[in-house]
Amino acid sequence: MNILEIDRLSKTFGDFVAVDQVSLSIGEGEIFGFLGANGAGKSTTIHMIASLLRISKGEIRLLGKDITKHANFAKKNIGIVPQEIAIYEDMTAYENVRFFAGLYGIRGSELKERTLEALEFVGLGDKHAVYPKHFSGGMKRRLNIACAIAHRPKLLIMDEPTVGIDPQSRNHILNSVKKLNEMGCTILYTSHYMEEVEEICTRIAIIDHGKIIAQGTKKELKAIVTDQKNIWIEVRSTENADPGKLREIAGVKQVEIEDRVIKFTSDAGVNNLNKMIQQLMADEIEIRSVEEQEPNLESVFLTLTGRSLRD
Amino acid sequence: MRDTLWLIRKTLISTFKTYKNWLFYLGLPLLAILLAIMTRGHSEDVRVNIGIVNEDGKQAITLDTIAFIGGMHSTNLVELPKEEADEQIIAGDLDAALIFPAGFSQTVKSGNPESVRIVSVKGTEASDYVKANLNRYIDNMTLISKAAGGSESKFDRLYAEYKASDFPLSAETLQDRSAGHAQAYQSIGYLAVLMLFAAGNLSGILLKERENRTYRRIMASPVSARSYVSSNIIVNLAVIVAQVALTLGVMTQIFGVKPGLPLGVAFFLLCLYALVAVSLSLAVAAFAKSSMEAGALQQMLFFPTSLLAGCMFPIAAMPQAMQSIAYFLPQYWLLEAFGKLQLGVALAEVIPSVLILVSFAIFFSLTAVYKFGRNQDARSFI
Ligand SMILES: Nc1ncnc2c1ncn2[C@@H]1O[C@H](COP(=O)(O)OP(=O)(O)OP(=O)(O)O)[C@@H](O)[C@H]1O
Ligand SMILES: [Mg+2]
Repeated sequence: MNILEIDRLSKTFGDFVAVDQVSLSIGEGEIFGFLGANGAGKSTTIHMIASLLRISKGEIRLLGKDITKHANFAKKNIGIVPQEIAIYEDMTAYENVRFFAGLYGIRGSELKERTLEALEFVGLGDKHAVYPKHFSGGMKRRLNIACAIAHRPKLLIMDEPTVGIDPQSRNHILNSVKKLNEMGCTILYTSHYMEEVEEICTRIAIIDHGKIIAQGTKKELKAIVTDQKNIWIEVRSTENADPGKLREIAGVKQVEIEDRVIKFTSDAGVNNLNKMIQQLMADEIEIRSVEEQEPNLESVFLTLTGRSLRD
Repeated sequence: MRDTLWLIRKTLISTFKTYKNWLFYLGLPLLAILLAIMTRGHSEDVRVNIGIVNEDGKQAITLDTIAFIGGMHSTNLVELPKEEADEQIIAGDLDAALIFPAGFSQTVKSGNPESVRIVSVKGTEASDYVKANLNRYIDNMTLISKAAGGSESKFDRLYAEYKASDFPLSAETLQDRSAGHAQAYQSIGYLAVLMLFAAGNLSGILLKERENRTYRRIMASPVSARSYVSSNIIVNLAVIVAQVALTLGVMTQIFGVKPGLPLGVAFFLLCLYALVAVSLSLAVAAFAKSSMEAGALQQMLFFPTSLLAGCMFPIAAMPQAMQSIAYFLPQYWLLEAFGKLQLGVALAEVIPSVLILVSFAIFFSLTAVYKFGRNQDARSFI
């Protein structure tokens, strides 16, 4: 059964179309990845699912019920971890979680239990009485998550929950996402970190300029690029490199220069490695290593949009 | 309702968790009373010069009435003809003149008294004081004539009995009252300013929650926007009504200041003004883009208007041109009603001020509702 179905969803701000005819469905128990560059329309889509933004066009159904008509039902079953931290600095970690869980009508000993459980879950079990102003960025992010899960939502929406934090906190968060999922929570996970999405998501949708440009399992998405190969050549210095000339090599579709690596995207059927090396040698560029990359989501995104996800 | 209570609880707890807020919301009003008592502690020796123009001749009732006024403390009476009275008032030698029309005593006896005209230039406190007492005296006589039911002999008998008993009003004097009244009046003036800032601060929570985005979290939960806003308004009203109760209580019970009007009436007036303060603060919150901007707007609005409305010192001290601005300020109407009631006027006479305060509250509320509604359309809360 699908927990969430989005049908030709659009959002316009004045003349600007931020979300354009997005259709998706997410099955119960999935970790669904929602990938897109800055300004692609991820948060806008998520805000409509969470009833924070009015829908311009289209429909969203949660467990088969239209969320506009059954707003309270939808809100009760959804938890949202906002992209920007949304907590009270003048309330302790415990008071924060307790207050937000209370908004869902939970009271008394049950409220206490769930609050403690949520704090424990994100690894803040020993920080109940601490005010968030004494927290590190990663701890605040984790509190931000705790505030969204204490009411035990069926669908948890996470809007870039790992932005700008240390690797340890990030690992902790990724592990808790997996654990939550094992406990039966469906997760819609937004990010622009490819590796994260590759690591934890069952299915992925890629959004660009408000439109879904691809969607499927990791395998299905990577299949899009099997007719391509990615060759990364590490060099001593890219000073003399001339991307214009490199692009002229037969079969080469794209050339990107990053640090001291020249990244070729090329037609898989053309044998052109020799030509690449020859050209670099002709330009007096010293080659350190040559590698053929497995296709990854990054290359899928690059192929589909002609841009790298990071910029 | 359960949601609203949950939100109220949170706001109250986090507000009164810090001692600074205790000082701000409840400490400052106490300080204001102290300040008012210290600065207005000395009664000034007020003497009121009143001219009497008697066109009714030597009628007993008219003469008694004149004697009653003469018997009021701090009054000097001079009988004089009408033209002279006008001149002396303009010259400033008289504070007011009372004109008893011909047939005045007859109309009193018949239970339908013709009014005594009061002439004064400034509409001063003094003339209001005289007028209020005079009206009460005449009201009493009208009651007697009603009781007499048209019989002259019965009237004379009742009237004689009435005169024999002590007239209660004569015990109160302008001089006695002025110290206590001025202190109470000044306390209310300061309180009016503090209430505005308190209300502004509490409405500012709405903006702060927008800024720290907890508002979004609340809106993503089953709590409605209406419950959310009403919880803020309820806390706001509760806190400033507590300020009012505390101020009135401490002023009268601990410092023994006599406010000069029934406490219940003072409380009612201030609660009405609380509605104005809260609705104004909401309107400011609706227009401000950030809590910083709201704070700046409050400073810009609340202080100067309170000065102009006479909250800090009497408006008479200000240039004439600026004095009339006061009519457009709610603080002025609160103080106006308060001051009039201190002079002993009937409740009915402050109905206009009350209605003006109500209109201010309605106007500000509608402005806030309209502006918040428009914000919602633009979804600027996201
Ligand atoms: N309230 C608004 N009014 C006008 N334009 C908006 C509004 N909210 C978002 N937008 C625009 O819609 C587009 C999509 O924004 P959105 O926040 O959904 O992107 P995103 O994918 O979440 O990006 P990021 O990774 O930066 O969070 C952006 O171009 C943004 O400027
Ligand atoms: Mg976003």
